[in-house]
Amino acid sequence: MSAAEASGARFTARLLRSKATLLWAAVVGLVLFCAVLAPVIAPYDPLDGDVREGLLGPSGDHWLGTDKLGRDVFSRIVYGAQVALLSGAEAVGIAAAIGIPLGLLSGYAGGWTDRILMRIVEGVMSVPFLVLAIALISVLGPGLWKSMAVVGVVFAMTLMRLTRGETLAAREELYVDGARVVGAGAPRILFRHILPNITPPLIVQVTLMIAGAIIAEATLSFLGLGAQAGHASWGSMLADAQESIRQSFFLALPPGIAILVTVLAFNQVGDGVRDLFAREAKAGTLGVNPVHRGKGAEAEADPPAGTAVPDPLLSVRDLTVSFPQPGGGRVTVVQGVSLDVGKGEILGLVGESGSGKSVTAMSLLGLVPDPGRVAASTVRLDGRELTGLPFDELRKVRGRELGVVFQEPIASLNPAYTVGDQVAEVLREHDGLSRAQARERVVELFEQVHIPNPADRLGDYPHQFSGGMAQRVMIAMALACRPRLLVADEPTTALDVTVQGQVLDLLLELREQTGMSILLITHDLGVVADVADRVAVMYAGQLVECGPTEEVFRKPSHPYTEGLLTSLPRNVRRTGRLPSIPGVVPAPDAWPEGCHFADRCPHARPRCSGGPIELAAAPGGRATRCVRAEELTLTGVGGTGAVQIAKKP
Amino acid sequence: MLRTVVIRLAAMFPLVFLVATGVFFLGRLSDIDPAENIVGPEASEEQVAAVRHDLGLDRPALEQYADWLSGAVRGDLGQSVYTKADVSASLLQALPVTLSLTFGGLLVGLLLGVPSGIWSALRAGRAGDRAISLFATVGQAVPGFWLGLLLIFAFAIQLPWFPSVGYVAIDQSLTGWLRSLALPSVSLGVVAAAAISRQTRSSMIGVLQQEYVRTALSKGLSKRRVVVKHALKNAAVPIVTVVSFQVTTLLGGSIVIERLFAMPGLGQLAIDAVLRRDPDVIQGIVVLTVIIVVLVNVLLDLSYAWLNPKVRAL
Repeated sequence: MSAAEASGARFTARLLRSKATLLWAAVVGLVLFCAVLAPVIAPYDPLDGDVREGLLGPSGDHWLGTDKLGRDVFSRIVYGAQVALLSGAEAVGIAAAIGIPLGLLSGYAGGWTDRILMRIVEGVMSVPFLVLAIALISVLGPGLWKSMAVVGVVFAMTLMRLTRGETLAAREELYVDGARVVGAGAPRILFRHILPNITPPLIVQVTLMIAGAIIAEATLSFLGLGAQAGHASWGSMLADAQESIRQSFFLALPPGIAILVTVLAFNQVGDGVRDLFAREAKAGTLGVNPVHRGKGAEAEADPPAGTAVPDPLLSVRDLTVSFPQPGGGRVTVVQGVSLDVGKGEILGLVGESGSGKSVTAMSLLGLVPDPGRVAASTVRLDGRELTGLPFDELRKVRGRELGVVFQEPIASLNPAYTVGDQVAEVLREHDGLSRAQARERVVELFEQVHIPNPADRLGDYPHQFSGGMAQRVMIAMALACRPRLLVADEPTTALDVTVQGQVLDLLLELREQTGMSILLITHDLGVVADVADRVAVMYAGQLVECGPTEEVFRKPSHPYTEGLLTSLPRNVRRTGRLPSIPGVVPAPDAWPEGCHFADRCPHARPRCSGGPIELAAAPGGRATRCVRAEELTLTGVGGTGAVQIAKKP
Repeated sequence: MLRTVVIRLAAMFPLVFLVATGVFFLGRLSDIDPAENIVGPEASEEQVAAVRHDLGLDRPALEQYADWLSGAVRGDLGQSVYTKADVSASLLQALPVTLSLTFGGLLVGLLLGVPSGIWSALRAGRAGDRAISLFATVGQAVPGFWLGLLLIFAFAIQLPWFPSVGYVAIDQSLTGWLRSLALPSVSLGVVAAAAISRQTRSSMIGVLQQEYVRTALSKGLSKRRVVVKHALKNAAVPIVTVVSFQVTTLLGGSIVIERLFAMPGLGQLAIDAVLRRDPDVIQGIVVLTVIIVVLVNVLLDLSYAWLNPKVRAL
């Protein structure tokens, strides 16, 4: 999906979200309306009733019936809104009046002022809210306004802490420095510069606090500590309802629902406002996705020479990966990729970021993130068909026949467990080794990947390893069950240059020892030149060229490969762009019908954009996806040796 | 590890002292006079003064404070001015009720909150997730005592499965104890469950996108193992933080629930004391709850070290 579309979708989602917020704001408005116009709306006096008309059910006269004392429940609910909102306003008003200035002071002044104030806050907040409120009410005595003042004082602590935190953060911002330089005094800085900038989180907190205050009012009134006989409070209505619950259950419903809806509305408005201010939360699920078996008609035709090898270990035909688009429909990020990896062979899969090379590799393992869909006419590993296998069947392949090494070794290891445990886990899962056996084998593996003092390092956690050593742990983990194929996704990209070479040497050494094959995904042609037997070049979701490394480097047959080669040496990680090819890989939904590279290609002709270009055989046992392959003479590099020299100056 | 425990425990003393002192002097600011309450509105000035003298309330505040504090450090929290009952003894009697209820509420909160949060995170954005999120949003807005009222009606009156009021001590009858705690625990725990569920969901969603989760999958582990072993432990730190807030909230919330279900816990004690202003009882309750809260927080802090090896190294 394109960046523009994604942000469009975010905007729509945000708008939808704020529509819900508007709806809840309307509910708040309705409660406010009832509160203000209570004397007009309420048909009866909320405090007075005829005891002879007690406990009546809902009727035309009394919409919600009457309580034990014959008072009209509907009128009491309407007046209850008044009590709820007034107490909310009182508590939050007091909280804001105390908490915000003290928080500003504490955060801005720092030092002893801050320390003393924060100790007080800490002490007050270590007492549970209701216990504290009760202790303070014991000083002031019960009563609606007194108890809500107490609630306000307690809430002030929360607000003070929040304001302080935000002020501390804001104080470090440049604009405050700027204001200080021009000679603004402390009050001016606090109220003109800091306060406006910390207002959004305070608005959110205050809104949520009103909801909290309404619950507190109901609770205290229910306990008999808040509203007394002179006020119709939802909380005291519930206390009355409890008394007569065996005669009339209905009385418990209206006040409870009134509290629920009002509190919910304030909470939702608060959350909605927070979402408007904040960045959108990520959403994602477990990244598992089986490979579906695609319709195989066209793929049964032999792929062009160059992509295929005789008796391959891994054989992929017509692999397609697509993701749903926010606006509907699907966008294909990998289109009909076919490739083979021979036994004991290292195949380099090369491309810029966005070319689909990593997605291709992950899809083989069923590890494409959830909304994605992977289909292929065949994915055969060592004679075993992987398409159509459910998650649990694929598990026997993952980690056992196919090991993976990822780009960021430290991030790829679980920080909460020791490395020994994580490597042993594979062995215990697949080979059923006991704890002691697994440990022994892990030591062996660590020796094999040249980790010094293997027995000691087993019990260390990933954060105690350097990047290079962590990558050795990852390699040991991938090799634990002696897989036939190792998928290495940018295994050296995140490492220091000196360590890169060591890790590549290790991979070559392990290939010699075990005879496994390696699918090496990289954007770095220098790495490919060093280690790969064959190379497959991807551009914008398609394979554009494939063949023996030597041949491809000497005489590329696709203009994109030429561009990659003439960009050597370079540091793509730093710039992400190819100096010799203008522009970047287009986003998947902007891929043209015809040649995907045509827009950036210096050799493009009108026919390049005429229709889909097929991958075709090219001289030197290769395949290329360029209609002009035969007429172009592209520049390569004179043998891989030259690349190595160029790469390591 | 032991050193951390000792330091944390030592650090709680100044806090408890600060709170105890604060609540004592706040109490002296009150213009509600227990002596007047005791003798009633008809009594003469002299009678009130006599009662006040008997209770020692006419002495200077500092002297009363020194008296109370020296008792408190020896575990003697004074006595009720009305019933003359020993405060420490009353608290000890009420404490098991409140702790049982708080623990029950916490259990309900964890059992409902954590699995539903995980379940929701695994389906983020789909119908199941939206349903759970809706429940959590509503759950946070439901007053616990109203929920309790509904539960009493449904499961004590309509279907007489549980007692509607009262508390059975565990040493009298285990099943009786469990039955008497069932409805109160649910009423108390639902709000906590909602908060825990929301936190679990958001922290799981963050962890599920981490690369080590992909690594765990690439090892061929089962989904259950990936979620429960690899993801949950990393997602747990923010969940534990919310749980520690919830313990404080539950302890406070138990006051209302005790009142609703007429359970003889700290809440009942507190409400009786506040309505007639019984200073020593109030002080005792505040000090005791602060100690509980601080102890729970020390325990939860220690769990961070187990959950996050990086903290252990420090």
